[in-house]
Amino acid sequence: MIEFQSVSKKYSDSADTLALSDVSLNIAKGELVYLAGPSGAGKSTLMKMVAAIERPTSGRVIVNGQDVGRIRKAGIPFLRRNLGLIFQNQRLLNDRHILANVMLPLIVTGATKAQAEQRARAALDKVGLLDRAPALPMELSGGEQQRVAIARAIVNRPQIILADEPTANLDRAAADKVIDALHAFHSVGVTCVISTHDEQVLDNAARVIRLEHGHVTGGGA
Amino acid sequence: MNIWFRQHRFALGAALSHLRKAPGSFLFNVLVVAVALALPFAGVTLLDNVRPLSEEMSVDPEISLFLKADTPRDQAQALAPQLQQILHGSHAKVSFVPREQALAKLKDKSGLTDVIETLGDNPLPDSYVMKLEGFTSTADAARVDGLAEQMRALPGVDAVQVDSAWVKRLAALLGVLRLALLLLAITLGVVVIAVVFNTIRLQVLTQREEIAVSKLLGATDNFIHRPFYYTGALLGLCAGAVALGAVALALRPLNTAIAEFARLYASEFQLTPLPPLGMAALLAISAGLGLVGAMLSVQRHLARLK
Repeated sequence: MIEFQSVSKKYSDSADTLALSDVSLNIAKGELVYLAGPSGAGKSTLMKMVAAIERPTSGRVIVNGQDVGRIRKAGIPFLRRNLGLIFQNQRLLNDRHILANVMLPLIVTGATKAQAEQRARAALDKVGLLDRAPALPMELSGGEQQRVAIARAIVNRPQIILADEPTANLDRAAADKVIDALHAFHSVGVTCVISTHDEQVLDNAARVIRLEHGHVTGGGA
Repeated sequence: MNIWFRQHRFALGAALSHLRKAPGSFLFNVLVVAVALALPFAGVTLLDNVRPLSEEMSVDPEISLFLKADTPRDQAQALAPQLQQILHGSHAKVSFVPREQALAKLKDKSGLTDVIETLGDNPLPDSYVMKLEGFTSTADAARVDGLAEQMRALPGVDAVQVDSAWVKRLAALLGVLRLALLLLAITLGVVVIAVVFNTIRLQVLTQREEIAVSKLLGATDNFIHRPFYYTGALLGLCAGAVALGAVALALRPLNTAIAEFARLYASEFQLTPLPPLGMAALLAISAGLGLVGAMLSVQRHLARLK
């Protein structure tokens, strides 16, 4: 489902440092994979390449059979519609209530307002936040905001969920709820890739890919 | 097709929603654009009123052909068929005016009988007066010049006068006015585009996060661009409506002044607002200018957002 073939990435503003260096890995359909490593290890860069936010400097990134590095600009939105993206800082729109935030991925695909609302309410229900639908993001705690971000990521029924440090800045209880929610979606067949530097989260992980200084140091095979 | 309409409806709704969030800023921009549009709109209204006046004005040019003083009468009268031949195809009333008749008319009209009596011999030549009919537009004036030129070449002809020069001057003046208006409209059109360009630039900056998130969630460029296009077009449309309203209001005091002036010429000429089709065309042009400004701004500023 996700395949990295000798992928390297060098940002134009960095000197000679490679954000990713000759990374090769495979993630199968339906897998739950953790990306672990310290800050600057290359976890976010790897995630961004799967979502075509960044393109590899060399090597190939294959997602759902598509070479992300060669995909046309006009094709990127359609690739992203099969992905559920969760960010460390949630990136909710603060001037829209929670329901509108969760409806957004459906609205951009041309769903009717009624369809979008119905599915957004169902997604909020799954993360236990249906009663907060009319609230604004700023009225929610960090953990709740992250769960709204999860609802927004799954509302489009994506094949892959990419969660970049979803438990950062959360207390243990809130972090556990977020991880539980992600595990719940994995249990129904969604491929989940979760990056974290929180070792406690990795305790019960089936597969962990470890990154350091842009190199895969374990779990890539 | 349903999705297409739905997405356009969403874009229009998003544009209106953003306008509602900052109505003061939108109204200010509408006023700025309306001021820029009002001047060419007023010019178009004026030309639209004057154009039929000049076109419908009966030019009926007269050509006066004067023969040399020593031309025998029979030779003078023999010119009539040649003149008819030159005027062939044109409706014209050709009158021969013998020198005696011309003198009598001069005495009668000028009231200078005594002075003319002292001249002794009749100094006036035989002449032809040709009243051309069907020459009802200023564009026909050039044709009259062509006819006069052919008549000058006839034997015994001393001079040919055409009295439609003033019509040509009016046509030339209107031409200059039209050109000036076109240049003014182009200049102010650029101003309108610049104002809309800047308005949209500010909107793109304030909605940067929303745009970035929408892109990450799978929004296409068209989906992101459309609300800005609608905003630009709405801005142009509203400004166009305000400008048309301002011009219509300005016609009242102008017509009061024009009525007094026109009365001196026994005319009831009044400036009227543009017909509905003309107004619709100007509104469409305003909306189009807004759309162009928005498109240029979106292409430039959204390209910079990754």
